[in-house]
Amino acid sequence: MSTTITATLPPSSHVHADVIHRLEAGGSMLPDTPENLMQVIGIYKAYAVPMDFYWRDLLYIAERVFLKPLPLFKYFISKEYLDRHNTYSGDQSPLRVWRGGGEAHPELLEFMAKGESGRKRPRLLHHLGHDRINMEFAEACMRAMFWHVDINPKFNAYLYSDAYKAAADKAIKAYFKGNWAVLGLYKLFPDMFMEQVRQLSYYANLGLFWEVMAPVFFEMSDIYDEGGFATVSDAMDFLVNGIFAVAGRPIYHHVYIGDECFEIIPKSAGMTWLYEAALPYVEAVFYRTTPFRGTKSYDAQAQQVPGEQSDFHYGILYADVFPVGSAGIPPTLLMQDMLHFLPPYLQEYYQEYCRGEDDQLIQLGITFQRSMYNVTSAVIQALRAALYYPLDDPNPQHRQANRRFFEEQMDRLTRSEARLQDIQTADYR
Amino acid sequence: MMLTLLMGLPLLGALALLLFPPAKAKLVALWGAGIPLLWTLWLFSQFDISNSQFQWSEAGAWLPVLGLNYELGMDGLGLLMVALNTLLTWIAIYSARSEIERPRLFYSLMLITSSVISGSFIAQNFLLFFLFYEACLIPLYLLINIWGGEKRSYAATKFLIYTAISGALILISGFGLLWLGGAEDFSYAALADNSLSLKWQVLLLVPLAIGFGIKVPMVPLHTWLPDTYVAASTPVAILLGGVLAKLGTYGLLRFGLSLLPDGWAVVAPWIATWAAITIIYCAFLAIVQQDLKRMVAYSSVSHMGYVLLGSAAGNNLSLSGCIAQMMAHGLVLAILFHLVGVIEAKVGSRDLDQLNGLMNPVRGLPFVSAMLVLGAMASAGIPGLVNFAAEFAVFQGSYRVFPLQTLVGIVGTGLTAVYFVILLNRTCFGRLDSKRAYFPKVSFNEKAPALVLAVLIVVLGVQPNWLMRWSEPTEVKTVVIVPGEHNVSLRDIGGLLLGDSSL
Repeated sequence: MSTTITATLPPSSHVHADVIHRLEAGGSMLPDTPENLMQVIGIYKAYAVPMDFYWRDLLYIAERVFLKPLPLFKYFISKEYLDRHNTYSGDQSPLRVWRGGGEAHPELLEFMAKGESGRKRPRLLHHLGHDRINMEFAEACMRAMFWHVDINPKFNAYLYSDAYKAAADKAIKAYFKGNWAVLGLYKLFPDMFMEQVRQLSYYANLGLFWEVMAPVFFEMSDIYDEGGFATVSDAMDFLVNGIFAVAGRPIYHHVYIGDECFEIIPKSAGMTWLYEAALPYVEAVFYRTTPFRGTKSYDAQAQQVPGEQSDFHYGILYADVFPVGSAGIPPTLLMQDMLHFLPPYLQEYYQEYCRGEDDQLIQLGITFQRSMYNVTSAVIQALRAALYYPLDDPNPQHRQANRRFFEEQMDRLTRSEARLQDIQTADYR
Repeated sequence: MMLTLLMGLPLLGALALLLFPPAKAKLVALWGAGIPLLWTLWLFSQFDISNSQFQWSEAGAWLPVLGLNYELGMDGLGLLMVALNTLLTWIAIYSARSEIERPRLFYSLMLITSSVISGSFIAQNFLLFFLFYEACLIPLYLLINIWGGEKRSYAATKFLIYTAISGALILISGFGLLWLGGAEDFSYAALADNSLSLKWQVLLLVPLAIGFGIKVPMVPLHTWLPDTYVAASTPVAILLGGVLAKLGTYGLLRFGLSLLPDGWAVVAPWIATWAAITIIYCAFLAIVQQDLKRMVAYSSVSHMGYVLLGSAAGNNLSLSGCIAQMMAHGLVLAILFHLVGVIEAKVGSRDLDQLNGLMNPVRGLPFVSAMLVLGAMASAGIPGLVNFAAEFAVFQGSYRVFPLQTLVGIVGTGLTAVYFVILLNRTCFGRLDSKRAYFPKVSFNEKAPALVLAVLIVVLGVQPNWLMRWSEPTEVKTVVIVPGEHNVSLRDIGGLLLGDSSL
């Protein structure tokens, strides 16, 4: 396949030409080495366990906590949501796509019970000691999606539609029924409440996105353990196939108040998993996000922060994974979450490099970066498949169109902060 | 024998190194430096603080024809300097890299250096002092030339030439003291009992001040120092900056102030002005440096200016501050050089443009950075740390006599804060560059010297009396009356030298 392409198309003159040629050959932005494969699969597994909590709690907040004025216990997920069966995996799944169980992962349940300390204590103590899954990372991702309004036009347009406002109004009034003070406040400041509901819709959006991704990553880990993946491209192809398998699944926002369900965004609104959740998520979280407080001092007057939101480049693809030392910033918290669930082979691997156990957080952060380049590659290949032509298309013009598409994607990774060149070598740890 | 032992123990250590394999050299050297340190601590316990005279005096004829006798003794000033020397020798040896080449020779030379420096501080005979003073040159020349970094040969030769000139000038003054003062030999007591006129005192002070001014060093005689400190390996730099520079100020106090008090009173305003210029000039030089070690080196010269300012004022308070500042300078410079050495070893660079984010808790050097912050704060004279009490006493003592020079010196402390903020900002703070940040971990052995010094910097800062009390009798003995109206012009001094004694 690759021979045909290179024989008919001249080499790309792009600064990332090597990567583009690899993508044209059906590969990933991440070089195909056994070490890379081991790292990305290992980190997918470590990511999947906290993600299994993230999606449950995001939906719990969106659907149950809703507009609680002081949501102090929004991270104390109810049993119902902890036991909630995944839609895409498990025996009771209405649309089983992946083979794993539908219940919360056993490692997650064990961690929630005992925490890092390994001692059973009241959940509040675990929480206050930060011996828990850190939802702050998930919320930061959600806010990035919510804030970058231009990346999700259909979903955002719906958030400002009359149908949405009417449904949200109904839910707000039902939620605060009998609470005249808050209803009075709602009368005075309706937009404030409406904006909160919109944010909660993004909680639901991200929760539903990750409900898909968690079993995908679990299954990839299982397949790798069984010797199923031979190359990085195999892992990427699995993701591409997964994306297409659930691309059309609905994104919705239901709120449960008492026994009643309020469909703020009904499934019939036509919001789909790929276009209204996955792609905006990749754009918001992998590329843009926001400058996390504490990771770097930005001087807006010196134009260190772009004037246009579309120019933001603080996502994982650009991130300098080394924290400055401000504990508690979201990326650091994700690393902390993943640290608890590293597979043994990855732990052993980290022991061999840099400072071993002492800087596992950094090493796994860089592995995570590698893995997200692989996920982004899957998204790019999926988009290419959806919008352009097959890689082995015999028409040179079609292949040229594919080339242009890949080059446009790589243009976004030409700025100095991008880690694309770093991940091409194993030395970047 | 107590003081002979103090000198002899490091020499025994140097000899013992020959008996052990190279792999054990560091351990043996640590014992060779550790026993004299313990011995010094024992001397502290035996020191009679109410006695202003030299204690544990030892005397023996050596070459009476030359006026050279083996005479040793120790007062509060000598005790503190010896303590600084033995402590920093141990720290310097501890901070040496374990994989150093030719370890037995290296540690032997370190111990010999320490021994002769101790000898300088406890000598009671000018010629004996001079012998020790000059004897330092040989091991230090070898230490710089063999184990130094880039441009080590150049730096070692420059050091040798400058210090040889320094020695020659000091020797001229010494002979002047003997011949013109009517002393029978070079013993301090005999030299002190001189009948030199004011003119001759001033005349002898000039080469003495220049000679020791090279050693301190003072602007513009300082140009050997940055090259030497930068080229020297970390342990040698600790000895050079922490101890050897003190030989200069010690010499000025011991010979200039004590033996030529009337002359000192005349030239004191000029020495104070010289000190103020050194403080400011080297602080500005430190600000513009790109090399971490060079910045610390210039900081060292600048801070030695405070010692000179205190000694110029010559009153109890300023002398107390001056001696305390010598100790404080030694401790702070040692911790800074040690930390710079660790940073260089781990990061592979001392360039401020390349260092960044070392405070990073996971991949950086957080302990080293924290200690660097402490060292910088101490050097900048932050209250609660050892330099504060010393500099405060210097300023309070010298302001009465030299207000203008003192104010300039105070501005110098502000400039210290400026260049250390630059240093910390570029080195410790900011974002760690992920392309470079694969530094090895800092081991406990690398942390230990900094910990010991940090504890001393804090403890002596909180309780400076534990430092200053030892030298009080010496200060009382040394105080000179510097003219209250310090309007002595160069013309006055010139007139004095030409026979006008109207001053």
